[in-house]
Amino acid sequence: MTPMTPLSECSGIVPQIQNIVSTVNLACRLDLKKIALHAKNAEYNPKRFAAVIMRIREPRTTALIFSSGKMVCTGAKSEEQSRLAARKYARVVQKLGFPARFLDFKIQNMVGSCDVRFSIRLEGLVLTHQQFSSYEPELFPGLIYRMVKPRIVLLIFVSGKVVLTGKF
Amino acid sequence: MPGGGRCPDCGSTELVEDSHYSQSQLVCSDCGCVVTEGVLTTTFTDEGNLREVTYSRSTGESEQVSRSQQRGLRRVRDLCRVLQLPSTFEDTAIAYYQQAYQHSGIRAARLQKKEVLVGCCVLITCRQHNWPLTMGTICALLYADMDVFSGTYMQIVKLLGLDVPSLCLADLVKTYCSSFKLFQASPSVPAKYVEDKDKMLSRTLQLVELANETWLVTGRHPLPVITAATFLAWQSLQPSDRLTCSLARFCKLANVDLPYPAASRLQELLAILLRMAEQLAWLQVLKLDKRSVVKHIGDLLQHRHMLVRMAFQDGTAETEDQEKEQQGQRQEQRHGEEEVDSSLDLPKGKRPASPALLLPPCMLKPPKRIRPILPISTVTGDENISDSEIEQYLRTPQEVRDFERAQAASHASTSVPNPP
Repeated sequence: MTPMTPLSECSGIVPQIQNIVSTVNLACRLDLKKIALHAKNAEYNPKRFAAVIMRIREPRTTALIFSSGKMVCTGAKSEEQSRLAARKYARVVQKLGFPARFLDFKIQNMVGSCDVRFSIRLEGLVLTHQQFSSYEPELFPGLIYRMVKPRIVLLIFVSGKVVLTGKF
Repeated sequence: MPGGGRCPDCGSTELVEDSHYSQSQLVCSDCGCVVTEGVLTTTFTDEGNLREVTYSRSTGESEQVSRSQQRGLRRVRDLCRVLQLPSTFEDTAIAYYQQAYQHSGIRAARLQKKEVLVGCCVLITCRQHNWPLTMGTICALLYADMDVFSGTYMQIVKLLGLDVPSLCLADLVKTYCSSFKLFQASPSVPAKYVEDKDKMLSRTLQLVELANETWLVTGRHPLPVITAATFLAWQSLQPSDRLTCSLARFCKLANVDLPYPAASRLQELLAILLRMAEQLAWLQVLKLDKRSVVKHIGDLLQHRHMLVRMAFQDGTAETEDQEKEQQGQRQEQRHGEEEVDSSLDLPKGKRPASPALLLPPCMLKPPKRIRPILPISTVTGDENISDSEIEQYLRTPQEVRDFERAQAASHASTSVPNPP
């Protein structure tokens, strides 16, 4: 088990969310060519990738829309923003004439970052937390810490910057 | 024949199933009349049990060692022999390779990955015995791509649930330094460049220890630091003759590849040594620079622990105080330190420079981009979406026509056939 910090010792550092990945099912087959033709904010290169890449300005996000009707929404900075963005993409698809619905919206992954403001001896950390850490300076400058509870992966750098990512 | 079949000719119930060549027939055993003929052809599902089974689905795979695995095991043995590893390493590496082969993801992997897996097993074995083998060496020996190697290495460590200790820096210094061809005179190495191996090793070790203590090693590839340390050690043992030799020339003489970051590590190490030199009164007056400090490396290393403590203050306390103030103030303080440095040109008594921060170089450099602090979002996700907002993303019918015309024109121009 990862050694737990008692609540009284919490640092008060709150990670800033950098990215949220969510998926939603529009529940209808889509004609990607038609979407790419009628939408200004869409790009579609079937030879490169079998989905339309659509972007909206507010909230600033990108969506991958597949012909099966499934959609992936990335780039939002909060769960609510991600849901709002996904709804906007669904509305765009609706306005293009498809009977799009909004089923099974689910947040798939969240990425956050923070700064603990002190330098970290990564080689020491990998010794004391061997079972959870992977530090290979020949490959990557950061230490990869796989926390068990909660199931989060942290990228810890010598400067004290930490990237946290967790899949649901 | 059970089932209630009757011969149409004689009415007998004695019907027998008889295969005439490959065709099954129902024949009356009394009069010999053929009642029904089986189909000559069978369906795919009918032949389910007669179909050929692919090797990967058969049991033969787990019963015997496949040719591909045998080849892999031979490669493991060859690699161990090339690296002149003890025989116990060979057995461990073989065991890891066999263990890896139990997993279907590895069995079905491309040959390139299986080749790289050989290197991974040998590397893990060496690491567990504290044998200093770098990934770069293995990739060079296997002619493998570092990206493929790193992916396979991370995968196999996770798959086998292995605990792989870190690379031992001291051992790596010893093996790497010993590979420098500077210990004997040769046509390419003049006598003044030849150095005693033990002296160079001990000084390099001290320099690498110093680099480690002053945050130059954490998070960085270990080899360039050792290259820079070896160069400085070699220079400092006979500075009068060797100061004119550059890092690149040194590596060429020693017949060792110069890793790209080594030049940057060298500058960082020299900066640390200069800061330490400022704490020694008799060196303060000499107005040392990055070249002249090399002559005094011996002295500096002898007192390195004390000098580092004097020259640097703990970075943690300093940064916590600064974060409470504005960014600008931090800039001011750094400028303050630089002013103190330049004041060494006119020594104002024996006051040493104010202690610099002992922090990794990435924390000392000004940030490239100031992270924007986003305003707290009040989005609930259930807001009303106005039609006009959505329509801004849609093309008007006229725009669609123009776009189609433009697309057709561009396709026509790219696919114009050559005139006959």
